Amino acid sequence: MPQASKTRPKESKNLKIVKDATCTFCGCVCDDMELTVDLDEHRITKAKNACVLGRAWFYEHTLEDRPVVLIDGKEATLEEGMDEAAQILVDAKFPITYGLSDCPCEAQRVAVDIMDTINGNIDTTTSVCHGPSGMAFQGVGESTATLGEIKNRADLVIYWGGNPAESHPRHFTRYAVTPKGMFIPNGKKDRTVVLIDVRKTPSTPVADIFVQVKPGKDFELLWALRALVKGKKISEDIEEQTGVSREILDDLVQRMKNCQFGVLFMGMGLTMTRGRHFNSGAVYSLAADLNEFTHFVAKPVRGHGNVTGADNVVAWQTGYPFGVNFNRGYPRFNPGEFTTSDVLARGEADAAMIVASDPASNFAKKAIAHLEKIPVISMDVKETHTTRLSRVRFAVATYGINTGGTVYRMDDVPISLRPAFDSPFPTDQEVLEGICQRVKKLLSGKKARVAA
Amino acid sequence: MSTTLLHLHTQPEVPLEAETLSPASIAGLSELGIEHLQVMHGNVRAKMGDFFKVTGKGTRDIHVEGDLSKVKMIGAGMSEGRVFVEGNVGMHIGIGMSGGEILVKGDATDWVGPEMSGGRITIEGNAGHMVGSAFRGQSTGITGGEIFIHGSVKNEVGNSMRRGLIAIGGDAGDFTAVSMRAGTVIVMGKVGVRTGAGMVRGTVVCFEEGSILPSFEYSCRYQPLFLRLYLIRLQEHGFGEKIMDKHLNGKYKRYSGDGVELNRGEILLFSGQ
Repeated sequence: MPQASKTRPKESKNLKIVKDATCTFCGCVCDDMELTVDLDEHRITKAKNACVLGRAWFYEHTLEDRPVVLIDGKEATLEEGMDEAAQILVDAKFPITYGLSDCPCEAQRVAVDIMDTINGNIDTTTSVCHGPSGMAFQGVGESTATLGEIKNRADLVIYWGGNPAESHPRHFTRYAVTPKGMFIPNGKKDRTVVLIDVRKTPSTPVADIFVQVKPGKDFELLWALRALVKGKKISEDIEEQTGVSREILDDLVQRMKNCQFGVLFMGMGLTMTRGRHFNSGAVYSLAADLNEFTHFVAKPVRGHGNVTGADNVVAWQTGYPFGVNFNRGYPRFNPGEFTTSDVLARGEADAAMIVASDPASNFAKKAIAHLEKIPVISMDVKETHTTRLSRVRFAVATYGINTGGTVYRMDDVPISLRPAFDSPFPTDQEVLEGICQRVKKLLSGKKARVAA
Repeated sequence: MSTTLLHLHTQPEVPLEAETLSPASIAGLSELGIEHLQVMHGNVRAKMGDFFKVTGKGTRDIHVEGDLSKVKMIGAGMSEGRVFVEGNVGMHIGIGMSGGEILVKGDATDWVGPEMSGGRITIEGNAGHMVGSAFRGQSTGITGGEIFIHGSVKNEVGNSMRRGLIAIGGDAGDFTAVSMRAGTVIVMGKVGVRTGAGMVRGTVVCFEEGSILPSFEYSCRYQPLFLRLYLIRLQEHGFGEKIMDKHLNGKYKRYSGDGVELNRGEILLFSGQ
């Protein structure tokens, strides 16, 4: 846990209160913050309603003394940086863009425009978190609801492969477990909460029922539940296979069939373990099967503040949520072929633009090694491993704290941002728009590389 | 019969999409005509001659040499003829082929034979994920033809396949024949987990023991006659060392499934005798 979350910064007298501000740290995108801003010190000193992660997010963001643009490690003007970035992208045969989950939709839209213009490859951090859920969603469909509906109606809440108490602390209190709703007048007393995971976590005490599944056996358990819901036989060694007894399974199936409104929340314990999109697909399929008996929905618990927005923006502009390639002048979607970690690991990209993400710290070694070989343009609010290896690096303002815009909550609900204080740094959108204009200028006069 | 020879003289810097490297495009063209065929080098249009030295007029038979691991879509849409590749190949080999034959003396990577409806692809080395599989979002994979991989493959062999035969001489990864609609997958090595998940119809044959999903049900132990015929045919196609007499004459444990679907599919596990 970041140290800053424990100590609240000291205040001066020049204070401003921002009501109904939005926290963009995680996918909960809580929009009921009350921020106290010290305008002299350019920092947030109090974040009422924020969780421990939100407080760290708000308190940690101050104005750092960094150059706005560095080209090959040397300070440059914003214009020079945008010129250089545009030239790199136009010269490339297989340029890629990655990240986008920690910037507003308005900036994401421009990033898609750039890649569409130069026939590049666009991918977001979705490909390494809930991308499998996106693939599953495309394959089997989705029975869905907003978190508001869940708060007001859900009487059976199942968390699978996640630990919201630490990753999304307000998910329990604001949306799904304790809040009182229209048809759930007594809050948690009217709900049954089930947690399914491979081990006990700080989230476990919240659950009425904890089901411990053997590591790597989530799919088998989901498949057995699907069979039981459909009234089909399952093999007798189910407990040996999954670590969960037949009695527990039967009880769970009865609860799922007999609830008024059930919800399955899935975490990255499902999407990033063996089986990936099939695990998510099994959750979606189970929810769909249960609609024969009652109302049941399934939702991924998304991580980054606006990763859901990235999915939405890329999907409404290209038709696909992530891993989209424009090499031929039209969008093509193929996870594994056009997803950034794979493209880099195979050594295919010859230029990269990384927006609000740090792949150099968490991708496979092979992918990072290739990233070090090619020209990289990066935009980030902080210095990261990726910015350090970039040829052109832009320091940008923090979305939600210094800049406005729109972000999507994990249930695909768009929420507007209320910035707390101004920043001397440009926004992601301004930098991307500058690059986009220059790219279009560089390409004008030349015949488009590929007829659309 | 005469053959057109294409020799890779310049390694592409980024993936080269060369769907024109196929009898469907080359047959009947002159050397110059073939060199001027369009290929996509990343986002730039290029010519076949920028990367390949062409010898001979365009024939139905093509011989390609070099490390083609960055060259995608070789043999795209072919309906007749023969493509012989000496070296590794890139993704989507034989995409949309309906006839003819592709033989690769090397390794292939992901998506061997997507949207295939006929013909035969033989890979003498290993292959990657998604052999004979549906593209993401498609409801059906290959609808016919044969894919023979003598080495090992990774995950999702025959994902959603509708018809056809896929034979793997080595090991296969997880989710073999997932969501299979019909057809046959034969794995002669080890098989990963969750074989046949969501299969509707079709047959998966495994020579070695593998885990069975809880929604499959044991039916019987028997000697399927059709399998003997399939295996004898595969012996003629280079799988002679892998297919022994015990596999031809032995018994197989039959599991029917997938219970969450139509339950008309089967997994046949060789019983060891």
